[in-house]
Amino acid sequence: MSAAVQSLLGILLSAILTENFILVKFYGICPFMGVSKKTDTALGMGMAVTFVMAIASAACWAVNELILIPLELQYMQTVAFILVIASIVQVVEMFLKKTVPALYQALGVYLPLITTNCAVLGVALVNVQKGYNFFLSVLNGAAGGLGFTLAIVLFASIRERLDDEDCPESFKGFPIALIAAGLLALAFMGFSGLKIS
Amino acid sequence: MKSTRYILRLVLTLFLITAVVAGLLATVNAVTAPRIAAAQQEKLQKALKSVLTDAEQAETVEISDESGMVRTLYASPSGYAAQVVTPGFGGDITMMVGVSKEGRILGISIISQTETPGLGAVSAADSAAGHSFRDSFTGLSGFVSVSKDGGEADTVTGATITSRAVTAGVNAALRCVADRIEQGAAQ
Amino acid sequence: MNMKKQFKEGLLTKNPVLVQLLGMCSTLAITTSLFNGIGMGLSVTFILICSNVLISALRKVIPSNIRIAAYIVIIAGFVTIVDLALQAFLPQLSENLGVFIPLIVVNCIILGRAEAFASKNGVVASALDGLFQGIGYTAALIIMCVIREFLGSGTFGGGILNGGEGIRILPEGSPAMLMIMPVGGFLTLGFVIAGAQWLVKRLDKKEKEAEK
Repeated sequence: MSAAVQSLLGILLSAILTENFILVKFYGICPFMGVSKKTDTALGMGMAVTFVMAIASAACWAVNELILIPLELQYMQTVAFILVIASIVQVVEMFLKKTVPALYQALGVYLPLITTNCAVLGVALVNVQKGYNFFLSVLNGAAGGLGFTLAIVLFASIRERLDDEDCPESFKGFPIALIAAGLLALAFMGFSGLKIS
Repeated sequence: MKSTRYILRLVLTLFLITAVVAGLLATVNAVTAPRIAAAQQEKLQKALKSVLTDAEQAETVEISDESGMVRTLYASPSGYAAQVVTPGFGGDITMMVGVSKEGRILGISIISQTETPGLGAVSAADSAAGHSFRDSFTGLSGFVSVSKDGGEADTVTGATITSRAVTAGVNAALRCVADRIEQGAAQ
Repeated sequence: MNMKKQFKEGLLTKNPVLVQLLGMCSTLAITTSLFNGIGMGLSVTFILICSNVLISALRKVIPSNIRIAAYIVIIAGFVTIVDLALQAFLPQLSENLGVFIPLIVVNCIILGRAEAFASKNGVVASALDGLFQGIGYTAALIIMCVIREFLGSGTFGGGILNGGEGIRILPEGSPAMLMIMPVGGFLTLGFVIAGAQWLVKRLDKKEKEAEK
């Protein structure tokens, strides 16, 4: 296998399974816990996040390479990235509303929540840290989003069943959901060490 | 035209806030940047000193590196030191590997890592377990592997991936130095 | 009197992590040693106080349409200051916490307090709110750290005490390493929140009985 394909598949594999954004890296726990009561809403949130993460990776890469690095303003990274992400979310929301109303109806409600999803800012910062080029940044963003979707959909289908089960009073709701998430994370640990070679 | 004025006010307020924040950050950056650079340099020098006895005379040299892990190679009268970056369990591990002119490991020093505390992080810790792991590489040569894979170097308890990652970095350094020595011999 | 109430709310009855369930990313990710927990807790507390004060001071100047954007810029500014300061003066902590320092920007606790409290209250009250909510967050992190470190590494005070090694309580090799892995984070937080809910309910009951 050529080195390029190998690193490509490597990024995909690690972002989705071995270094799953939620269950291993802990990015985006808030929406993971908040929007995971139903499988279909979870899927909608996952898709919206994947979409925004890919675009944000591209935009933040451009801002960093074309503006911040030439001007030696790397210390403005966090401020610049979060502004870029907030604007992207706004633009995407308006754009979808005008052009693809069907998609807007499906994803619209989740979009405002995404600005404060740390998976999005997280992936932008990690891309810079790892020195990914434009293409790898976008790929890492999209793959991270897919990992997020996988985790949140799996978790939502567990939670749907959890509601019907008896558990101690104090554990009702969040605590038992967290414990279920823990067991899911345990399952994902099985992927660690998985490598493409 | 009240609406235009309102929009102008929105833009101006946001612009002013951003400008003030940017100005403030520029000041803070001016104060901290030299310290951050100095702290990193100090770490590097400390790592260099711990693997080479004559680190003061070390100079960077050109390298040919196939693994893509070796960042810088230093040469001194007593040997070489390679700064390598190897993917660990929780992120990249940056370390310094000292290699003698005969291609034996003089010592390794881990500069930065983000491994699991209590497990992988032991590899870099200033503790008995950490020292014994790093010292187990000293004197080895050729191709190194950890005890778990039947090799001579120790494995950190419960951190096979970290141990293997360190070994991969060490091998990249050994290979790089071997190439360098070969080149020197050919010239 | 009011201050006492604010303090109690921050620490327990409206604890940002244990009751409001905010800022869970960092709570789960970095609570593997006491040093990390205290460092993260203090960083967030500092940023929370600063951003609360500034946002409260500017609450009449910032038009409401752009308030979220303005808050985010202000918060990101303070976060970057802390980030740079840690890199310069406490490089080890900065390395341990890694990307979770810049990610404080999107920690819902800070934006949440800005929107829910600082944008409606005076400067002094907002500063106190920041302080108490920050203490509540730090306390939750410390509880998580102590439990996870004890069960996972068998030590107490990792990163600070005993030359960074921590004081060994359980013999080496016996601890359940799982607890300092991601799994342990979820499980511990689940149990700690359950404990907090139980405590809050008990306190409520007591108060009601006292009223009768």
